[in-house]
Amino acid sequence: MRGVGVVYPSAQGPVNALTGVDLAVADGEFVALLGPTGCGKSTLLRLVSDLLRPTSGQIEVRGQPAAAARRANEFGFVFQEPALLPWRSALENVRLPLEVVDYPASDRQARCESLLEMVGLTRFRGHYPHELSGGMKQRVAIVRALAWNPSILLMDEPFSALDELTKAQLQDDLLDLWASEKKTVLFVTHNISEAVYLADRVVVMSAHPGRIARTVTIDLPRPRTADLRETLPFLALVREAREALRGEPATLTTLTTPTTPTTRAS
Amino acid sequence: MSTQALLVTPAAPIESMLQRFGPPIVILAVVLAVWEFLVWLFDVPPWLLPAPSQVAVRFTRTPTLWYHTGLTILEAFSGFAVSALLGVSLSALIVHSRFMERGVFPYIVVSNSIPIIAVVPLLTIWFGFGLAPKVMIASIITFFPIVTNTTRGLKAADPRILDFMHSINATRSEIFFKVQLPAALPFIFAGFKIAASLSLVGAVVGEFYGSDRGLGYLVITSATQLRTDLLFVSIIVLAALGVGLFTLFGKLERLVIRGEVDTERPT
Repeated sequence: MRGVGVVYPSAQGPVNALTGVDLAVADGEFVALLGPTGCGKSTLLRLVSDLLRPTSGQIEVRGQPAAAARRANEFGFVFQEPALLPWRSALENVRLPLEVVDYPASDRQARCESLLEMVGLTRFRGHYPHELSGGMKQRVAIVRALAWNPSILLMDEPFSALDELTKAQLQDDLLDLWASEKKTVLFVTHNISEAVYLADRVVVMSAHPGRIARTVTIDLPRPRTADLRETLPFLALVREAREALRGEPATLTTLTTPTTPTTRAS
Repeated sequence: MSTQALLVTPAAPIESMLQRFGPPIVILAVVLAVWEFLVWLFDVPPWLLPAPSQVAVRFTRTPTLWYHTGLTILEAFSGFAVSALLGVSLSALIVHSRFMERGVFPYIVVSNSIPIIAVVPLLTIWFGFGLAPKVMIASIITFFPIVTNTTRGLKAADPRILDFMHSINATRSEIFFKVQLPAALPFIFAGFKIAASLSLVGAVVGEFYGSDRGLGYLVITSATQLRTDLLFVSIIVLAALGVGLFTLFGKLERLVIRGEVDTERPT
């Protein structure tokens, strides 16, 4: 998958949401897009998945234009909120994409059940979203995005609305899923240690205009476990990513508390 | 709300029914008794204010009542059905086409501001004294709440779920039937509930003008002949129909809508 040079001046006046972004992601790679609010990292996901067309530059996904990749159902999208259908049970929510993409009807039920089992929700398959906790709902949303075996998983701050414990649990679950399913993952986050913990490579972005500031390669061994978070190499990489984030003079004031850069409106 | 529910559930069914319906029934009985007593005390003439007992007698001694009621129901229901079918379809068009939204919505708003009473004579000129003009009035009067609520509902779908559907290349009809329409159901039912009572109003108003049958006809003739007891009977039947329809749609809604919405709704 290669995303090449994307410039995006938005419709409401000449706002440069993204400028001159060059990014190449390898098959099966886990890339975190890290940056403050308004740096265009979510826009980047929408560009890759053809929900938004770039005003300049091109995007290529597995050798074809993004639009063709979307038609080929290459993308599984996970949002900050689970965005489940409230009138469908957990299992029926997972089944939704299988009803849309070409998936043999006879295999749907079994596929959904095995997916829910992977995230430990077999007991809750008949529950409606309002009967599930935030973490459970996000698990359903994640396996919904994996249901038809897309090659690329696009995740837009999927864990930022969860409490610390659930977040850590889901991060480990995601790494397990990624290890077994061999997906390419584009993971948007504003949480530095989350990016370092999960990714092979952290792409640090900066705002006004949105652009890639720096790329930090995370050469920590896998499989990664919670202990890793206390090791020196991990902390060194977190510091490096933080400095890359701070490297933007315009946002020095807001980045004095770098773990919560949400204070700035986009 | 939830604590109240907890208090009610452990009680026996009959007991909880008593708790719920007991107080309003007591109040009704007191009001009727006072009414009856005052009419007797001041010897109010029946054409001015009949006693509840007189109204009850009239109710049992009006064999044609059910014929008139049935006709009004038929008109109201037909008008409602036409309106529901056209209204929901039009809403679907409005949601899918900018042109339709901009081109049609102003006229829907204008149609709502035309006083329906003023249109009745016109429809009578065109379509005579039969069922048709009444059905049309019922459908015109119910059109606005159905279209506005349905349109709002169809637009209420979670934008991220729409993004998700687009990202897996879902077709418009898949998005409509799997996401937008189910998301709109609570709104559609809200519109239907308003429309159900309005459809009765439409049918009765239609019967006021140039008609020889129906509850509206009964209201007008009993009023002009000062048969006030019959007027009361007609009004009570109409009120009962309105309540009945509202309850019916509430029940239907709970049957149709799954998941969060119906559990959130207090009973």
